[in-house]
Amino acid sequence: MNQHINPGSMRADDGIEKGGMLLHVDNISLSFGGVKAISDISFDIKKGEVRAIIGPNGAGKTSMLNVINGFYHPQEGTITFRGEKRRRMRPHRAAKQGIARTFQNIALFKGMSTLDNIMTGRMTLMHSNILAQALWVGPARNEELAHREAVERIIDFLEIEHIRKTPVGRLPYGLQKRVELGRALAADPALLLLDEPMAGMNLEEKEDMSRFVMDVNQQFGTTIALIEHDMGVVMDLSDRVVVLDYGQKIGDGTPDEVRNNQKVIDAYLGVAHD
Amino acid sequence: MSPDFLNFIETVLNGLMTGVMYALVALGFVLIFKASGIFNFAQGVMALFAALTLVGLQTGQMPFSHLINATFGTDIHHWGPGLPTILAILMTMAVMIVLAFTIEKVVLKHLVNQEPIILFMATIGLAYFLEGFGDLMWGADVKPLDVGLPTGGSFWLEDVTTSWATAGSEYYGMYIDTLDVSAAIIAIILVIALTIFSQYTATGRALRAVADDHQAALSVGISLRSIWVIVWSISGFVALVAGIMWGAKSGVQFSLSLIALKALPVLILGGFTSIPGAIVGGLIIGVGEKLAEAYIGPLVGGAVENWFAYMVALAFLLFRPQGLYGEKIIERI
Amino acid sequence: MLYRETGDFSSTYAADQQTFPIRSERYLFWTAMAFAFLVVPFLVNDYWEKSVLVPLLVWSMAALGLNILTGYCGQVSLGTGGFMAVGAYACYKLMTAFPEMNMFIVVVLSGGVTAFVGMLFGLPSLRIKGFYLAVATLAAQFFLVWIFNKVPWFYNNSASGQITAPERTIFGVAVTGASAPPWATYLFCLTLVFVFAWVARNLTRGQLGRSWMAIRDMDIAAEIIGVQPLKAKISAFAVSSFYIGVAGALYFSVWLGAAEPTEAFGIDKSFLVLFMVIIGGLGSILGSFLGAAFLTLMPVLLKNVMVGGMSWPTDLAAHIEIMLVGGLIVFFLIVEPHGLAQLWRLLKEKLRLWPFPY
Repeated sequence: MNQHINPGSMRADDGIEKGGMLLHVDNISLSFGGVKAISDISFDIKKGEVRAIIGPNGAGKTSMLNVINGFYHPQEGTITFRGEKRRRMRPHRAAKQGIARTFQNIALFKGMSTLDNIMTGRMTLMHSNILAQALWVGPARNEELAHREAVERIIDFLEIEHIRKTPVGRLPYGLQKRVELGRALAADPALLLLDEPMAGMNLEEKEDMSRFVMDVNQQFGTTIALIEHDMGVVMDLSDRVVVLDYGQKIGDGTPDEVRNNQKVIDAYLGVAHD
Repeated sequence: MSPDFLNFIETVLNGLMTGVMYALVALGFVLIFKASGIFNFAQGVMALFAALTLVGLQTGQMPFSHLINATFGTDIHHWGPGLPTILAILMTMAVMIVLAFTIEKVVLKHLVNQEPIILFMATIGLAYFLEGFGDLMWGADVKPLDVGLPTGGSFWLEDVTTSWATAGSEYYGMYIDTLDVSAAIIAIILVIALTIFSQYTATGRALRAVADDHQAALSVGISLRSIWVIVWSISGFVALVAGIMWGAKSGVQFSLSLIALKALPVLILGGFTSIPGAIVGGLIIGVGEKLAEAYIGPLVGGAVENWFAYMVALAFLLFRPQGLYGEKIIERI
Repeated sequence: MLYRETGDFSSTYAADQQTFPIRSERYLFWTAMAFAFLVVPFLVNDYWEKSVLVPLLVWSMAALGLNILTGYCGQVSLGTGGFMAVGAYACYKLMTAFPEMNMFIVVVLSGGVTAFVGMLFGLPSLRIKGFYLAVATLAAQFFLVWIFNKVPWFYNNSASGQITAPERTIFGVAVTGASAPPWATYLFCLTLVFVFAWVARNLTRGQLGRSWMAIRDMDIAAEIIGVQPLKAKISAFAVSSFYIGVAGALYFSVWLGAAEPTEAFGIDKSFLVLFMVIIGGLGSILGSFLGAAFLTLMPVLLKNVMVGGMSWPTDLAAHIEIMLVGGLIVFFLIVEPHGLAQLWRLLKEKLRLWPFPY
């Protein structure tokens, strides 16, 4: 079975070359009641890149991620992921297709240990039936152990061996964020969505987390979509940046292009560089 | 009017009267839930306890007589001829306030910031404790309660309705218990009083502030703990009223505490935080139950009342999980 | 030095994942089991069987079931009494329809029937949560008890409306009916509880158990990382109801021998099992047993002390008992919301350092 945590390895090859289109967001509009959260946004994510989504608070960044992984259903527009077009889908279907994510406000399973949290990330990859699990025989047991091995690799990678059996509710914030990244990695994702992975961290923790994100992208070739407020981090890590403001796209391009885009400066960076 | 139609009206009216009773209990739930986010399962037992205490004081029963007799081999039952009704009611109210204080001091204070489900379980424990305590104090036998309210059918209504029926048909008029009518009137007065209290007094404002946001209320100097005592006292009062009504109707007995279970579907319909919701929900459940018993009951062997309310609540939840007056929930992550 | 973990290393994931990773714990467990299976049957008499051991085993089974649903999957149910009734009536119908059938099979099939009914009543859990779900399960409680009262087919048209367990044997030894020897009924229940406790352990440590706990701890995040809410919740309802159905079948056929729905399967039973789970510890297999033991043994003890020792009348003892149970619930919720299982864990932490304080 899976001997490495190379994401995508357990999933059927989608035949998309590195640099090819992994995800297409076409003319998405989303509103709650009468309030428009996202209006007519289109962008794409190429395989293997780090794509940052930035914008002021309330710009619709998290809503965008929620649309991508099927939690919100847009009123208009389509999502094309690995060549498959869709409009509405349940989140667990998106997970099955290979979209994993972390959350802005940590959404770990507080009553479970680090190990169990990350094992849960492999939900879509484990298939033994309830009877085999009940008796803990052959296939179920072997599957459990094989996946445990894969999860241990992630634990090694994230350097959280010492908290393996600790209930995550007791962990400090920075470690919880790391466990959450581990849980997302455990799904062997084709696309990893990170919602403010460095929010609320001190400098050292930020550097650690940046290193993990870079490693995931470079060593395993995982495509990453990243929401982040720290401009330094965004400019360093990402290949391309899309900028949202008030639910609309106001910029898209390499970090340098975005930095020099007048609209972006006005709406967002301008405030910081007064 | 045909007798069938008149029978239908009678069923609906009786349902409304029962509904008022449910609404009374549900009201106590709503008050506590709004102010403290606690789903007080003990509300029904509080009604039982209040009624037991009232009867005990009224008839001059000796508290814990059973226990004392068993321990010391004595034979005490009463300490005197009992108190006049008004005095007994006032003293019972005092007991309910002491109870509110005790509950706050012994239970709630220690459970601040626990999850709602833990608090819910704690009130189930409280319900058991109070039930055992009430029985221990006053004995578990069924006691008649008479506070001087008129009871029995109204002949006037029977005469009037008989004259409505189609000439020549065998119809002998509607039976409406006058006690139910007074209960309805008292319930209406109670609701109006509570509304005035919560809208126009400083304490009422504080109550609503706490209901909206505990932290914010604390930060402007409202004492959460005294608010809780006040709220539990008020719902103790509501419990007393409900206890008097139910007790006068069917005797003070254990089954009184089971109306708490009936109040649950009422709350589901009306929403946990809405006083008008509790009233409307109570009436819907009351009428629905009586109609189901009258029209579906005979087809399936009766006793439909036992589960009808819950099935209505269940069906209702499937279509409108947020209740009649609740807002649509937008989930966030 | 009865309890220590020094020098006890697991070198494989399999060893790390076993139920009792610490050697002394393993020895303790198997000694206790050997005692329960090999020694107790020779000591047990009628009183111990009917007032202590069989009740303890039946309630442990029910508590295991409810703990799977409420403790592991986070869905509060007040329908336990109703589901026990389903198990009991399924057992009765199977016993009378197939007199030759092995009692083990009868009981397991009764559990299966209950699992199916539980799944039906679990469907609303997909739309509603928390208190709302608890109220929805009340519909199951009252409706099920009502239907067993009203439909004569369920009690084979018996005049009293009661169901009475006929004598059924396993390997020629009666396990139900009036003449069943105490050791046989005890061993019968013990075997079932042992096997299904082990199954519960397996289910909760595997992927299914993790999907339940994920739903319990944060249902939205669970769905986003790939847990199917439908599958997780319905399977929890099914497995939980299976256990409760088995408990109901044993309760009726082995313990009571005869039952009448309103009396035997009322809402008070739902609360009793819920209390066991809370006092024992939500989300703990061991806790289910501790909770069941506590609430089964405490009344027996109280009764012996108050009625036997102080010669109080039984109704007085009953009032004090119910007061104590209520008081203890509140006490536990305040002092240790995680129940007896957590106290056991803390004790182990202490033992591991003993005789040093830290």
